[in-house]
Amino acid sequence: MNLFGGEWNAVLVVLLVGFLPNEVWRVLGVVIGRGLDENGAVMRWVRAVATALLAAVVARLVLTPSGALAALPLWLRLGALVVGIGGFVLSRRSVLVGVLAAQATLIGGAWWLGLR
Amino acid sequence: MVSSPPHSEAGPALRPRRHWFVAGMRGATAVPGLVLIAAYIGFGGLAHGLGLAFLPTLASTLFVWALPAQVILVGGLGDGTALPALALAVGLSGVRLLPMVVSLMPLMRGRRPRLWLELICAHFVAVTMWVEALRQLPPVPTEGRPAYALGLGAGLTLMCVAGTTIGFYLMSSLPGPLAVGLLMLTPISFSILLVRNAAVPMDWFAIAAGTVLAPLVAGSPGGLDLFWSGVGGGTIAFLAGEGLARIRAAQT
Repeated sequence: MNLFGGEWNAVLVVLLVGFLPNEVWRVLGVVIGRGLDENGAVMRWVRAVATALLAAVVARLVLTPSGALAALPLWLRLGALVVGIGGFVLSRRSVLVGVLAAQATLIGGAWWLGLR
Repeated sequence: MVSSPPHSEAGPALRPRRHWFVAGMRGATAVPGLVLIAAYIGFGGLAHGLGLAFLPTLASTLFVWALPAQVILVGGLGDGTALPALALAVGLSGVRLLPMVVSLMPLMRGRRPRLWLELICAHFVAVTMWVEALRQLPPVPTEGRPAYALGLGAGLTLMCVAGTTIGFYLMSSLPGPLAVGLLMLTPISFSILLVRNAAVPMDWFAIAAGTVLAPLVAGSPGGLDLFWSGVGGGTIAFLAGEGLARIRAAQT
């Protein structure tokens, strides 16, 4: 983050690169108001793009991470993800069970590896 | 836990705006709000792990106020993605807020709409706010709804600002294995929620396309990785989903 100098410069970056491009859709929502078919083809495409984007974000964090995540071996990151989704499916779709199963895998794995 | 707005004997419409604001803040402490705090504790830890400072992390929760966009943002700032490409990816993830605002606005507007009030209400709209406002606002009298929505949004934001702060500072004080768990909380819960929310074949196609494309387009010129995996993967999924729906319709 030294690229942006102080913390306040980083705040400015968050406002310009994070706040503005995101908030513009909320403002548009107020201005457009009615007259938008939520289930029309365009909105179906938007939902598909948002879903693919989120899947890509997760894949990037798990497959090609930066920072502290990179210190974890790939098998542990992937293994936790698989156990989490498996726990979710096997527990008849309980998000809590899925997250706890993945966390147990991660913490157990990291402890076994003797990380940090 | 869930504070449903009380129906007063004295005529609920006559209550002051402050009453509805406070009722909205109480509404923020329902279960979905508590789940959101946990998600933001994970986000705070992730931002710390990716090397972001505290103030920008906090600013992202206050001003961006949409977890997927925030994860894209801190992930991109962490690995040095070009800023225009990062803004594009954040903007793409934000499009899904538009229909949420459109569908919620009639409920939050009240009787005498004022633009600045509508914009503040709209700022609070994200997945949890949308679900909770749709559930909690209908029993509130129309006059009280803008104040209730503001209270709900402000309450959720306050709770998540606290969650972000806790996660950020926990990251440096937790012993190794627990810090690892905190760091992965966001990617893990996002992937489980993607699976949970997948309802039609198009959703599954989008999950698959985004996941497969992400490593393939890594290192795209201009840092456009997320743009290609999002727009490319989403478009492939859209076409495949529409095609499948058409084939199924033709068969019946």
